[in-house]
Amino acid sequence: MRDQGRFFDFLEVIKRAESGEVMKEGDFDKRLGRKVLSLMKQYEIRYDPECVIPTDDGMADRVYQAAVDLFLDLGVYCTDTQRIIRFTREELQWALENVPQEVRYGREKETVSVFPRKVEDRRDPVCFFSAVGTPVTEEMFLPIARSYAQEPHADTFSGPLITRYKGILVTSGSPIEVEAAIWNTQMLREAARQAGRPHIGIHNFQSTGEKTDATIASAQEKFGAFPGDGLLVAAIAEMKVDFERLKKVAFLRQSPYVLGALYGPLMGGYAGGPEGTTIALVAHHFLGLLVFSGERHNSFPIHIHHICNTTRDMLWLISMVGQALARNTHLIIVSNAFMASGPCTEMVIDELCAQSITSTVSGWHLNPSAVAKNRYPMRCSGMEPRIHAEVGHRVAQMGLTRKEANRIVLKLVEGYEKRISEAPIGKMFQECYQMDKIRPTDEYEFLFMKKKKEWGDLGFEVI
Amino acid sequence: MDLLKEMAEAVIEGDEERAIVLAKEALEKGMDPTEAIEKGFSEGMKEIGRRFEKLEIYLPEVIISADAMVAGVEVFRQHILAKGGQSFPKTVLLGTIQGDVHDIGKNIVRIMLESNGFRVYDLGRDVPVLQFIEKVKELNPDIIGVSALMTTTMVHMPKLIEALQENGLREKVKVMVGGAPVLPEWAKEIGADGYGESAMEAVRVAKKLVGLQGEGKGDGA
Repeated sequence: MRDQGRFFDFLEVIKRAESGEVMKEGDFDKRLGRKVLSLMKQYEIRYDPECVIPTDDGMADRVYQAAVDLFLDLGVYCTDTQRIIRFTREELQWALENVPQEVRYGREKETVSVFPRKVEDRRDPVCFFSAVGTPVTEEMFLPIARSYAQEPHADTFSGPLITRYKGILVTSGSPIEVEAAIWNTQMLREAARQAGRPHIGIHNFQSTGEKTDATIASAQEKFGAFPGDGLLVAAIAEMKVDFERLKKVAFLRQSPYVLGALYGPLMGGYAGGPEGTTIALVAHHFLGLLVFSGERHNSFPIHIHHICNTTRDMLWLISMVGQALARNTHLIIVSNAFMASGPCTEMVIDELCAQSITSTVSGWHLNPSAVAKNRYPMRCSGMEPRIHAEVGHRVAQMGLTRKEANRIVLKLVEGYEKRISEAPIGKMFQECYQMDKIRPTDEYEFLFMKKKKEWGDLGFEVI
Repeated sequence: MDLLKEMAEAVIEGDEERAIVLAKEALEKGMDPTEAIEKGFSEGMKEIGRRFEKLEIYLPEVIISADAMVAGVEVFRQHILAKGGQSFPKTVLLGTIQGDVHDIGKNIVRIMLESNGFRVYDLGRDVPVLQFIEKVKELNPDIIGVSALMTTTMVHMPKLIEALQENGLREKVKVMVGGAPVLPEWAKEIGADGYGESAMEAVRVAKKLVGLQGEGKGDGA
């Protein structure tokens, strides 16, 4: 469901990937580090741990300008050709002026319109409920996916992934990957049907298949992938692409599916600390727009040691990136929540709340959520995105300001940050859900109620 | 400041030229290269590793320091080779497993291993199992370090271990695994010798596996 947006010539992108400046990958990585360091100084961008949601509009605009400079100076690295794909300022400007300002997911009554949000926007964020590719068993895939699709706040949904298909390990590049990928799409649509929402959009209908052939094989209406569903194409950290990704783009540009671009820079990695990674993440959006023809843009910046984005430096980064983009572009941006702790713990509820407040007030839509560092099998459920989405809706409806949001988020972070390196991995799906009803256990519901009461004492009422 | 402290300082400062000058000075003074590396450059890199673990510094600074260390160590290596000796005591064959193009974690491990005196043969990303086997035959490394970021690629790890067995190489080389979806339980299940939760942990485990003074919680899988 494409709207009026126009994109940069993709064939020209491929030409540049095959004719641009040759550079060793290690030199590109070092160049990125040096450039962001100089831009941080030039534009006076400073992280303040006491202000995770800044109200300094000037700094947000400087972050944006620094990212433009970075993108134009550095370009995008193609690992297959070891060449740099470069763009001019005029090309970037043209692309930004022609971005789609509406993307639609779903069909019939489940059609959802996604739009560019603004800082302190009182319009509700669109909530993309996602299990973010948590590894699960084949037997549990369907009930887990259903737990996401059935949530009233789920505007779209996507699923976990399976590591074994009919007892065989799902291996990248093998025929089993194609079989499992088709099954994955079929089961997601079945989950939507079982949830009583057959027309809900599936914003990423493929998690199990990674290779392009497996992804394309699963992209058929007879398997349950309809116009109004979508796929995500991820950049390689940092500021890199390869032909595998560009092949997906070539397909998606000609398909009826929404192309979401996905970026996951590592804070502490090649772009340095929170300030440098902030600049790099904004620049990734230009990569997604010009190289991927991305219609909407998902970000999952990750702390290099804690594998989450709920530490105070990560929340600052999320807020700054959101504000920089919301103030200076019409890009549709979506914040992927990554929690250190796992399901059915008090800590995960506080992390979800802090991440959601920060994202919503800073201009993002919401994509909850990866939990337990997104690495422990069976640790995911529809309850975590429910918490995240309820908070996000409340933030928008009450018109929370950045200043007030900062006060609340700091209180929440102070409560969990000392435990972040040893965050509890929480309970498996079948331990925190009633399996006969696919509903959270009383224990999990009670924990959420308890936390809501605590948040009320902080002046943040979630009904 | 004594020479060893100056060497450590040159690494911490990321001063490549100074590291080379100091390495040459150490040789002129008749210092044992191994001792000079361990008590000089490595001490500096340990401090860099400590600061990185606490995120007082970030990867770009680590890379600059590692470059300084590698430049200084190269002076010693050339000296040892000229005398007909073996340049590095222990070697690691490193790569991201077949099908996987995500290599930032592997690259950090490479930097840390090199900074701790290992000779690293980095095969890069998306390395087929058979290429690992060919390189083991060719280079005879002490350790294979293999990483994965996806569940669909980490399943190649047990295939690598099986291939080592089939080729009669399993007893000759230790296998370490790591990466986001790789858990200690998985490492144990597939018969890996070591698992590292982080880059620094990987170094400690590698040292332990080859009988150097490795320590820490992340030992053999």
